[in-house]
Amino acid sequence: MLTALIVLPAVGALVVGLLPKRRTELYMPIGVTLSLPALALSGYLFATFESGVAGFQFVERAAWYEPWSVYWHLGVDGISLPLVLLTALLVPLALAASTAINHRVKEFVVYTLLLEAGLIGVFLSLDLFLFFVFFEAILIPMYFIIGIWGGERRIYAAIKFFLYTAFGSALMLAAIIALAIIHQRQTGAPSFSYVELFDLALNPTTERWLFAAFALAFAIKVPIFPLHTWLPDAHVEAPTAGSVLLAGVLLKLGTYGLLRFNLGLFPQATVDFVPVLAVLAVIGIVYGAVVAIVQPDLKKLVAYSSVSHLGFIVLGTFALTSGGLAGGVIQNVNHGLTTGALFFLVGMIYDRRHTKKIEDFGGLAKVMPIYSGLFLFTAFASIGLPGLNGFVGEFMVLLGSFPSLPIHVIVAASGVILAAIYMLWAYERVFTGIPDKPENQKLLDLSVREISILAPLVLLMIVLGLYPKVLLDRIEPSTEAVLDRIEAVTDYRVPVPGRIDQVLAGGGE
Amino acid sequence: MIEPPDISWLGILPELILGLGAALVLLIDVQWKPRSRVLCQAAGIILALAGIAALIQRVWLAGLGPEEQTAANLTPFGGMLVIDQYGVFAHLLLIVVALCGLGAGWRFFESLGRRGAEGLALLLLSTAGFALMASTPHLVMMFLGLEIGSISLYVLAGFTRTETASEEAAIKYFLLGSFASAIFIYGVALVFAGTGSLHLFEQRVFLSSNIVLRPAVLLAGLALTIVGLAFKVTAAPFHSWAPDVYQGAPAGVVGFMAAAAKVGGFAALVRLLSTGFADYASTWALVVAGIAVLSMLIGSFLGVVQDDLRRLLAYSGVAHAGFILTGVVAGRSGTGGVWFYLAVYSVQLVGAYAVVAAVSGPSSAGSALSRYSGLGKRQPFLALGLTVLLLGMAGIPLTSGFIAKFGVFQEAWRAGFGWLVVVALLASVVSFFIYLRVIVAMYMGDASDELAPPLGVPVRAVLMVAMAVTLIFGLLPAPLLRLAANALPL
Repeated sequence: MLTALIVLPAVGALVVGLLPKRRTELYMPIGVTLSLPALALSGYLFATFESGVAGFQFVERAAWYEPWSVYWHLGVDGISLPLVLLTALLVPLALAASTAINHRVKEFVVYTLLLEAGLIGVFLSLDLFLFFVFFEAILIPMYFIIGIWGGERRIYAAIKFFLYTAFGSALMLAAIIALAIIHQRQTGAPSFSYVELFDLALNPTTERWLFAAFALAFAIKVPIFPLHTWLPDAHVEAPTAGSVLLAGVLLKLGTYGLLRFNLGLFPQATVDFVPVLAVLAVIGIVYGAVVAIVQPDLKKLVAYSSVSHLGFIVLGTFALTSGGLAGGVIQNVNHGLTTGALFFLVGMIYDRRHTKKIEDFGGLAKVMPIYSGLFLFTAFASIGLPGLNGFVGEFMVLLGSFPSLPIHVIVAASGVILAAIYMLWAYERVFTGIPDKPENQKLLDLSVREISILAPLVLLMIVLGLYPKVLLDRIEPSTEAVLDRIEAVTDYRVPVPGRIDQVLAGGGE
Repeated sequence: MIEPPDISWLGILPELILGLGAALVLLIDVQWKPRSRVLCQAAGIILALAGIAALIQRVWLAGLGPEEQTAANLTPFGGMLVIDQYGVFAHLLLIVVALCGLGAGWRFFESLGRRGAEGLALLLLSTAGFALMASTPHLVMMFLGLEIGSISLYVLAGFTRTETASEEAAIKYFLLGSFASAIFIYGVALVFAGTGSLHLFEQRVFLSSNIVLRPAVLLAGLALTIVGLAFKVTAAPFHSWAPDVYQGAPAGVVGFMAAAAKVGGFAALVRLLSTGFADYASTWALVVAGIAVLSMLIGSFLGVVQDDLRRLLAYSGVAHAGFILTGVVAGRSGTGGVWFYLAVYSVQLVGAYAVVAAVSGPSSAGSALSRYSGLGKRQPFLALGLTVLLLGMAGIPLTSGFIAKFGVFQEAWRAGFGWLVVVALLASVVSFFIYLRVIVAMYMGDASDELAPPLGVPVRAVLMVAMAVTLIFGLLPAPLLRLAANALPL
C-alpha cells in the first residue's frame, strides 16, 4: 500500500506526460484528478493506522541490490503519517490553484506530481539509501518549478536553492556511507536499514561527526538560522504552487529528518548538541519574526514568518520532552496548513494585481470581503489564536519545552507576540482603511474555485484547533518511543514534568 | 625445439573481427564505391559481430569450472592475452560505446563522402586497439593497444581538414599524446628493470615473494606508467589537452574519442594496479588519490566558467576521471564500482556529444553555450535527452550516475579513504553547477530563432539508449551492478 502511495503520483506524471499536445486547458484538471487517488489512499492509511502503537506500520521490504544491502524498505509511524497526509492534501490544492500558469502547463503538472511522489517517498523510507535518493531527487522538480515558472530572479533563486541543499546533503551522504561501513565492521554486513542501525555502538567522537553531517543537511532544509538565506529568495521567486509545497512540505523534510534521524540514530550526540541547536532555534524564532515585521513584500513576510515558526519546531524537538516532540510534529502539520493557506492567499491577490508589495494595497476589506475574512482567519491561525491549530502546536512546544529549557522558552515566547505584530500590521496596511488606489477599487472577490481551495485548509485549522487528539493519539506513541530510547541509551533523563503521563497526572509531584 | 605459441582464436576473436572489419570497409569502398550509408551499416554489423564474439568469450568462460580458471588456461598467445571477465566486460562496453559513437557520427561519416570509409575504418581500429589494451596482461602488448587506439583517434580528431580548429586539435592531441605514450613506455622499461618481467602475473609473483630493498627504479616506473595512463583518461594535471581537442575535433566523433580512450585507459590502469602491483597498494593508492583530488577540483571548478559546451563537457570529464579514480584507489574491490561508473558515464558522454553534433552540425568545431539557449522550445527531444544525461552525469539520485558515484565512494570509504570521499562529494556539488548552467540555458533562456536541422534516426536511437542507461539503471541498477561486480581481472 505504501508503494502505491509513491507510485500513484509518479504514474500520474507519466500519464500527463503522454497526453497529446493540443488540449492544454485539460492538463490542470487532469493533474488534479490524478493526484486524488494518492489523497484517497493516504486518507485510508490514516483511517486504518492503528493509534497507540509506537512502531512502524504497513512495513514493506524488498531487496533492491543485495550486495550493498540496499532495500526498498517502507513504513509509516506517528511521526511520518501526518506529513504524508499533508503532502497528499496540498498537492491537489496547489495544482488547482495554479491557473495563473499559462505556458508549459504540461511540464508543470508533471513536475508537481513527481515532486509529490518524491516527498511521500522521503517520509516513508526506512532505508537510509532510499531516503537519500528521494531526499535529493525532489530537488530536480522543485528546481524546475522555481526556475521555469518563477518571478524575475527565478534562475538565481533556483540555483541558490539547489546548491544550498545539495551541499548539505552531500555531507549527509558521506555520513550514510560511514554508517553502513561501521555496521559492516561491527556485524559483518553493511546495512542502510534505519531499524538495524539502532544497534550500532558508535564512539562519541564519530557519533558527533555523523550527527553534525546529518544536522547540517536538515538545518539547511528547515532552515535553521544562519542557514536560511536561500529561503526568502526561493519563496519570493517561486510560483504559488511552488511556494505552497516548499513551505508546506519541503521545509518539513528538515524537521522530520532531525527528529527521525538525528534523535533516532545519535541519541548521545543529540543530548550533547542540545545547547547549540536550541539557541539557534530561539535566534531563528526571534530573528525571523523581527525581519518579517519590516518586509515590504507580502510573500517575503510569509517566508520569514516560516523561519520563525519552524524555529518553534526545532526548539520543541531539541527540548527532548513529550510536549516538545509531539508539539513539534503537530506544528509541522499546522504550519503546513496555515502557511500553505497564506501562500495561496498571497498568490490569489498576486494573480489579480500582479504585485505583492504591501504598499500597493490598502482598504481591500471593502472590496474583497470574503478574501479579507479568510486572510484574517488564517493570520489568526498562524499567530496562534486559541481555538485554532497554531495555538495547539506552539503552546504544546512552549509548555513542553519549559521543564528542560526554561530560559529559551521565555525568549521564544516573544516570537508569538512578534507574530501578532507582523501579521496584524500587514493586515492593517493591506485590508483596512479606504481603497484609495484606483487599481484596488475594482478587484473581484474570490471565486468559488478559490474558496473551495481554501475551504479544506480552513476546516482543518478549526478541527485541529478544537480536537488535536485525532492526530496526537497517533503521534504520541512514536515520539514517546524516541524519548524512551534516548533515556535508555544515554544518561539524559526527561525532567519532571516533561513526560506526557506526568503532565496528565498533574505535574508529577 | 621451439614450442609453437598456443593460438587461441577465441582469445583474439573480437579484436580480429574489428581489425579485419576495418580492412573490409576500406576494400568494399574501393571495390564497389557504395554510398556512405551502406558503409556505416557495414561498420555497424562488424561491431555487432565483434560484440557477439565477446559474448561467446563470456559464455565460454562461464562454462569453465573454477579449477580450470587458471592463468595457464586463460592466457593464450604465450601469455600475451588474457581471457577473463574483466576483459570481456571491457570488450562489450567498448563495442557499445563504438556503436553509439557510430550512431552519433552517422551524419558526419555520411557527410565525408568518399573519405567516410577511412573514418569508419579508424573508428573500428581504435576500438580494436583499446579492446586489446584492456585484455592483455603484458605491458608491451598494452602499449601496442594503446598506440593503435590513440593513433586512430589522432587522425579522427583532424579529419575535417578544412577546419583549422580541427587541424590544431589533431596536432595538439598527437604531440601531447605521443609524449604521454613515451612516458608510459619509459615507465614500462623501468618496471621491467625493477621486476625483471613485462608480464603482470609474473610481476605479481615477483613482488609478493620478494622484498625490494631499493624500490626507487620500480616506483619511478610505476609512477610513469600511471602518468601515461592518466593522460589518456584526462586526469588532472595531465588534462590540459582535452578541452582544446574536444572543442576542435569534428563534433560527430568527439564523444567516441573521449569515451573510448577513457574506457581503454581505465581498463589498463586498474589491471596494472590491481594485479601486477596489488602488493604495493599502500604506495600507489596515495598517488592515485592525489590525482583524483586534483582532477575533481580542477575539473569541477574550471568547468563552471566555460562558455563552450564541449569544453564544459571536457572539464566535467576531468572531474569524472577523478571520481572514477576514487574507485581505483580501493584496488581490486573497487573494480565493480569502476566498471559500473565507466559503463554508465561513457554512454552518457557519447549521448551528450551526439546532441552537440546534432545542434551544431556534425563536422563543426566549437559549440558556444549561447547556441543552446532555448533549445527546450526548438528541439524538445534533444533538450530532454541532454537534460537527462547531464543530470545523470551530475549524479542526481534516480539516475545511474548516482548509483555509479555511490558505488565508487563507498568502496573508497571502505578502503580507508573517507577524506577522499568527502572531497569528492563536495566537488560533485560544485560540478552540479556546471550542468545546471546548461539546463538553465536550454529551458529558461530565451530561444534564438535559429532553425536546427531535423534529427536522423541514428542520433535519436543513440539518445534513447543513453537515456535508457541513465534512467533504467538509476531505478533498477542490480543487473548491471552484478555484471560489473563479476568483471574482475584474473
